[in-house]
Amino acid sequence: MTEVQLDLTVNGRRHRVSVPAHHSLLDVLRDELELTGTKTNCLEAECGVCTVVVDGKSVASCTMLAAQCQGREVVTIEGLQDGGDLHPLQEAFVEHGAVQCGYCIPGMIMTAKAFLDENPRPTREAVREAIAGTLCRCTGYQKIVDAIMAASQRLVQQGERP
Amino acid sequence: MNSPFRVIGKSFARLDARGKVSGKAVYGTDFAMQGMLHGKLIQSPIASGEILSIDIERAMAMPGVYAVVTAKDIPAQRYGSFVKDMEVFASQRVNFVGQPVAAVVARTVEEAEEAVRAVDIKYKELPGVFTTEEAIQAGAPLVHPAWQEYKAVPTVKRDGNVTNYARLVLGDVEKALKESDRVFTHRFVTNVVHPGYTEPRAAIAHWDDSNQLVVWSNTQLPFEAQATLAEIFKLTPSQVRVNLTVIGGGFGGKLRLGVEHYAAAAALKAGRPVKFVSSCEEEMTSALPRQPLTIELTTGVTNDGKILAKEASILVDTGATSGSGVGVASSVMLMLAGPYKIPNLRLESRSVYTNKTPTGSFRAPAGPQGNFAVESQMDIIADALNIDPLELRLRNIVREGDLAPNGQKLESVSLETCLLKAADAIGWKDRKPARGRGKGIACAWWTTTSGSSGVYVKLGPDGRVFLNTGCAEIGTAALTGAAQVLAEALGVELADIQIVSGDTASTPFDFGAQGSRTAFAVGNACLDAVTKLQQRMKEIAAKQFSAKPEDIEITTGGVKHGDKTLSLREIAAVAQASQGGLIAHGTFIAPPTLHDKERTENMVITAINSPSFHAHAVDLSVDEETGEIKIHDYVVVQDVGRAINPKYIEGQIEGGVVQGIGQALSEEIVYENGIVRNPGLTDYKMPTAMDAPNIRSFLIESPSKVGPYGAKGVGEPPVIHPPATIANAIAAAVSARVQTLPITAEKIVRTLAEVSTKAT
Repeated sequence: MTEVQLDLTVNGRRHRVSVPAHHSLLDVLRDELELTGTKTNCLEAECGVCTVVVDGKSVASCTMLAAQCQGREVVTIEGLQDGGDLHPLQEAFVEHGAVQCGYCIPGMIMTAKAFLDENPRPTREAVREAIAGTLCRCTGYQKIVDAIMAASQRLVQQGERP
Repeated sequence: MNSPFRVIGKSFARLDARGKVSGKAVYGTDFAMQGMLHGKLIQSPIASGEILSIDIERAMAMPGVYAVVTAKDIPAQRYGSFVKDMEVFASQRVNFVGQPVAAVVARTVEEAEEAVRAVDIKYKELPGVFTTEEAIQAGAPLVHPAWQEYKAVPTVKRDGNVTNYARLVLGDVEKALKESDRVFTHRFVTNVVHPGYTEPRAAIAHWDDSNQLVVWSNTQLPFEAQATLAEIFKLTPSQVRVNLTVIGGGFGGKLRLGVEHYAAAAALKAGRPVKFVSSCEEEMTSALPRQPLTIELTTGVTNDGKILAKEASILVDTGATSGSGVGVASSVMLMLAGPYKIPNLRLESRSVYTNKTPTGSFRAPAGPQGNFAVESQMDIIADALNIDPLELRLRNIVREGDLAPNGQKLESVSLETCLLKAADAIGWKDRKPARGRGKGIACAWWTTTSGSSGVYVKLGPDGRVFLNTGCAEIGTAALTGAAQVLAEALGVELADIQIVSGDTASTPFDFGAQGSRTAFAVGNACLDAVTKLQQRMKEIAAKQFSAKPEDIEITTGGVKHGDKTLSLREIAAVAQASQGGLIAHGTFIAPPTLHDKERTENMVITAINSPSFHAHAVDLSVDEETGEIKIHDYVVVQDVGRAINPKYIEGQIEGGVVQGIGQALSEEIVYENGIVRNPGLTDYKMPTAMDAPNIRSFLIESPSKVGPYGAKGVGEPPVIHPPATIANAIAAAVSARVQTLPITAEKIVRTLAEVSTKAT
């Protein structure tokens, strides 16, 4: 098994890890760095619970090789909070009843984060399309869409978005 | 409107929300222990056969491998809910593709996976049965040739592949059918669907220094897991300690053991803690999906649409073990009669083994299947009699004081309100004949599962209140609902309450997070605890004030006597200083639902406890060329008794409807000679955000006598109606009546082609 030496930046912090070349970003996040906020399920990029943000784009970390992340910026759910304060997306998910079992939520929030960064004033339909790669079995998506719409407004108001 | 409540009826955020949005919540898949090894299952590649040999030598020599576990390592005994027909690892025979035969324990998951391929197992293939119709034929291969040796509950009547033959009989069906103006017979077939929780089943087990089995898992029922593990490993229940992790959804799929038993067996042999997490393929081939049913339903009516009789023959395909399927075969008969007043009934059901995945108790276990048959047929009858489908229902539904098919007197019956509201909201009266667009409606009742609940309510030194429960929070926010009940009754804020849940050694017993009962039963146990706690508070205050306990008054946040007051914090301080703190054990058991046992034969579920009533309506379009469905509007009217937390009740409704839409339109585990053809999420199509419509929920509050503040069970009902509601709307839109689930685009196009062939 070929090992690769990687220098990864996750949530703004550099990590040096040595992992088998075929290991995914998800493997490294969960097993090496013990960042278990990013969830694991289907391992075939169908369910979306493992979604993280790499260089500003949401990706399924289960099918992205860790080696592909050398020199790139990875942000996980653990990196979204500012100290003790929840990110407006996290706050909106709490307020709008968008969380039930919660297992898809880290992936859902990271998907929404990357989406809102590029689309600050989306329509409900656009939000639905953006999160269609992440399955939620509890909520029926409606309150998740509510939460993302509310967060988009708050982010625009806070001036964090143009 | 002014609410008399401070906490009840308000949409507070759930108490565990922060941990879930921050990634800090530790789920079963996240949990780890020092020294932990990883286990992987070896599954049968054949549907029916004998195990000739298992050679583990090569696997044991592979790097990182600690043990290979087989049936030989487990005390040989079978377990199961109604019939004890399950074993941890197949000992002699395998009965389905995917059945665990052995497990490998290794230092890493990858090493375990490699060693799985090195275990050499030889089988002798035998003929199997893959449909219930085949399985009940005389001379059909027996899935369990030794079925007579298995223990079973005394209620069931078994024979070969049939694990129960049950009946519900009332009046004289033969006579009533003869007297009917019209008699309709139809056959409905439903699909195998997976609960679809996003977190796979996961567990870690280890055996501690006193040989106690300690398990961490994402089970819905820690106390059942404790009892079953004790049975399997020949321990007393108290020698097994089950702890809960945070749970990534259950929907009934995590009621029975998931991987706890594999972890326990592996940890015993390896001498180290072992973790098992189901792979996606294992979930699709060997978890506990919903039973597919075949229902032959005959209904006799008068020309003006009065139902005189119903007759049904039901086959429940339970897969290779009977599991909860015996219960489904009983409860489906309560669904097939209702929610209508029918004087003559002869319903019979058989739960049947086949060489396929064992099935389980997916949310409202018999609900969608039974409702699809009853409510589809109601629309067929309405069409034939030229009566409005809503009107046909109104002429037959149960009303206050009517008897259910089992003879129980129905109370707090709100079905007419639900139907009329749903019809009004969807614009039923305004529907116009427009080719390709139609509206559908369906209604049902459902039960609130009984079983006992205990809670410890403890006052912390600062007046904070700990709600200690043996019930799991599977995601519904039902424990937040129970905490709202507690906060309301105790006179504190919801934010003052902290939930402690899920350790069989330290929490009181609870029948568990199942059957729409959590907020209902745990909430009631909280009310009992408050009564007991307040009595103790009065006694403490009486001593402080030199007064009599009965003269102490309970206030919001404490007690008073004249102008003297004590806050909860002060009471807690006195209690800590003088009597080891303040803690109350609240308990609840629902009163039995009285009914006529004479009407039921061999049924293992016979009552509809604290029934809830509901109606769904949909407005949709069908593309006649592609068969594609577009849902424009979906309305749910549900009687919840009392809406403890409206937002999370809406969440249950929205999630349940979308899950029901999956069963209605796209989801099916497809078998070919017992082999699952779509064992992954690429080909098993659960609805995405693009497939899910916006749903409008209307909550009716017709209080139950039993539930806390009048609440009824909420969680299961929303998944019941979508298949029938959608089938009815499709038929209204394009005259294509599909009687098998799922109603795929292909089936719609094919049915339309058949209709037009007949017409020409």
